[in-house]
Amino acid sequence: MMDLTDRQWVKHAITHPFEGFEDMRWKKAGSIKYSIIIILLWFVASIFYNRLYGFQFYVEADKMFNIIPYIVQTIVLFLTWVVGNWAVCTLLDGEGTMRNIFIYSAYALIPYVASIYIEVFLSHILIRDEYIFIEAISYLGLGWSVVLVFSAIKSVHQYTFTKTIFAILLTIAAMLIILFLLVLLLSLFQQVYVFAYSIYTELAYRLKV
Amino acid sequence: MMTAVFSMNLAVSADEHYDVYNYDRWSEAIPSQAGYLAERSVSGEDLGIGDFAEPSDIFRDAHDQLLIVDTKNNRIVITDSKLETVVGVLDEFTYEDGSTTTLKEPEGIYVSPETDTIYIADYNNSRVLVCDYEGNVSLEITKPQSELFAQELTFLPQRVIADKAGNIYVVLGNITTGAAMFTSDGEFQGYYGANTVEQTSTVIANYFWKMISTDEMRSKASRTVPSGITSFDLDDEGFIYTCTQSTSQKTDTIKKLNPAGKNLFTGLETTWGDIESVYDTNTNKNYQSMICDIEIADDGNINCLDLTSGRIFQYDKEGNLLFVFGSSSDQLGGFTEVAAIESIGDEIMVVDTRKNTITVFVETDFGDIVHRATNLYNDGYYEEALEPWYEVLQYDGNYRRAFLGISAALLIEGDYEGSMKYAKLADSPYRYNRAFEGWRTEFLSDNLNTIVIIVVVVVLVVGVLVFLWKRHKKNVAYAATVGKEE
Repeated sequence: MMDLTDRQWVKHAITHPFEGFEDMRWKKAGSIKYSIIIILLWFVASIFYNRLYGFQFYVEADKMFNIIPYIVQTIVLFLTWVVGNWAVCTLLDGEGTMRNIFIYSAYALIPYVASIYIEVFLSHILIRDEYIFIEAISYLGLGWSVVLVFSAIKSVHQYTFTKTIFAILLTIAAMLIILFLLVLLLSLFQQVYVFAYSIYTELAYRLKV
Repeated sequence: MMTAVFSMNLAVSADEHYDVYNYDRWSEAIPSQAGYLAERSVSGEDLGIGDFAEPSDIFRDAHDQLLIVDTKNNRIVITDSKLETVVGVLDEFTYEDGSTTTLKEPEGIYVSPETDTIYIADYNNSRVLVCDYEGNVSLEITKPQSELFAQELTFLPQRVIADKAGNIYVVLGNITTGAAMFTSDGEFQGYYGANTVEQTSTVIANYFWKMISTDEMRSKASRTVPSGITSFDLDDEGFIYTCTQSTSQKTDTIKKLNPAGKNLFTGLETTWGDIESVYDTNTNKNYQSMICDIEIADDGNINCLDLTSGRIFQYDKEGNLLFVFGSSSDQLGGFTEVAAIESIGDEIMVVDTRKNTITVFVETDFGDIVHRATNLYNDGYYEEALEPWYEVLQYDGNYRRAFLGISAALLIEGDYEGSMKYAKLADSPYRYNRAFEGWRTEFLSDNLNTIVIIVVVVVLVVGVLVFLWKRHKKNVAYAATVGKEE
């Protein structure tokens, strides 16, 4: 029973919000390859959303394009979520491995990512008066993904309903701490670099003289 | 011919000693063509009546004569429209009983176009003088003996205007509650067009402290009052435009008031004057524009005079910036301290109270085309404005309003693709939306048959393929079970 290919598992997980991830866990299914593809598609979608949106809806002050914010808002955000959730749930008797958290969370994002592509497509054939359709798609995709993420975390750690909510809230807090430490680390490394560089210039100057 | 005009204009532009700029969609200053050029500056000596002494106002009457308030010389100089010959000098005024009076540092002047009555704000005599061109005084307005007017304050009129009904409005230097309003008989009516207090964080904090402080503390606390209006002008329809020269206040700097005193410009997003304030390292201060005089031209354009930078900002009647010209310098077209602005046809006169001169700016070819296009566009003649807008783009390819105008005109003509193109160039999603709606409707009705056929064919093909695929899978599964059984 339930001998599905990787692709069929993706379909099964996102179309069965309550049982899909439980089944996946039971059969130890899920593919890292598909998860990475989903996250990359999300990253591309975020660029599409900002760059290729229908001109009639809004216009960005696009004097400069910087790709770093897009990476941070998708890939880095997702990795932080995975690491934060793993760190929190290891302490809360969660059964999920980091690999599983990664796969399940990525699968749960599919409706959201798909909704972005649909929105961008619709924005080219609709006018402002019909924006309500785009809005509906966006809420649908987001809502569906939220349910799936909840279900994924619940299944991967074998939690109860309330404990899942608690874990998700703690994960968000953990993400904030991780990002804060990252910023701190970056600025620290920058200062070390500046220090080293100034020593180098000092030496270079003296050697020359 | 076009090229000839173009090169001529370029040659003249090169004479400007300051950078001509305009603001783009993102409120950043970008180079532009000059709409006005300084042609000459006129001093009192040029007119043969001795130098002006700190002139502070200029006004054009219904006969296209210019009346210049020569403040420190205590006189009114009347010249022809070209500022070349003096028509008369008013320095002595006769009352009805035959006695005479003189001015003492007058600051403002207005002439009613209907009755040819001159109104003079006689600052240091604390009165407003109403007279005719011969200097016969018909009315004198002094400090009103009314409880509405704080009696400890001196009556210091700086600017005066009168509406069609004969009501007289006076800007007083020490009053922040608006312009004092008088009937045509000189009876005090109250105040008109007061500014509102800008809601800054300080104001809100003061409000909070006042709530929790005692009466005694409250009486000692400073009150928050708005800046009083600095100058005003009337347009042809009888609306009063006021300007407020303030270093701190950012709201209400330019107002268009209806007869009830309501500001009709509240909905505009226009930043009057320079959008970005200029930081001066010497004084460690940010200098923002201070509009010290406002003037409504014949075609409804609004000329604002900026005391800080010596620049003139010209807006159309919808509040869109047309041109910026003038500077703070010693050369022609530069000012030391501007005081007043007035326009006749395609000329603009600016009074410099320190240089004691009047500088005359003349509209360039570019300015003429922009004005033509803007006026047609604002009056709703979008299609007629199309040609002038194309010409504007030949002079200045950055002129955003031209792209908007062309987009609007092409939309009406039914050229949706062209309209979309120009809306994109103008960075206007709103205009693009309307053009796109038209384009989509047209596209759908033109290609309805093709679309229906394509959809039907695609559905049929997909349906057949799915059917075949399912049957194939079934066969394979059946073969497998048969194989197992055997």
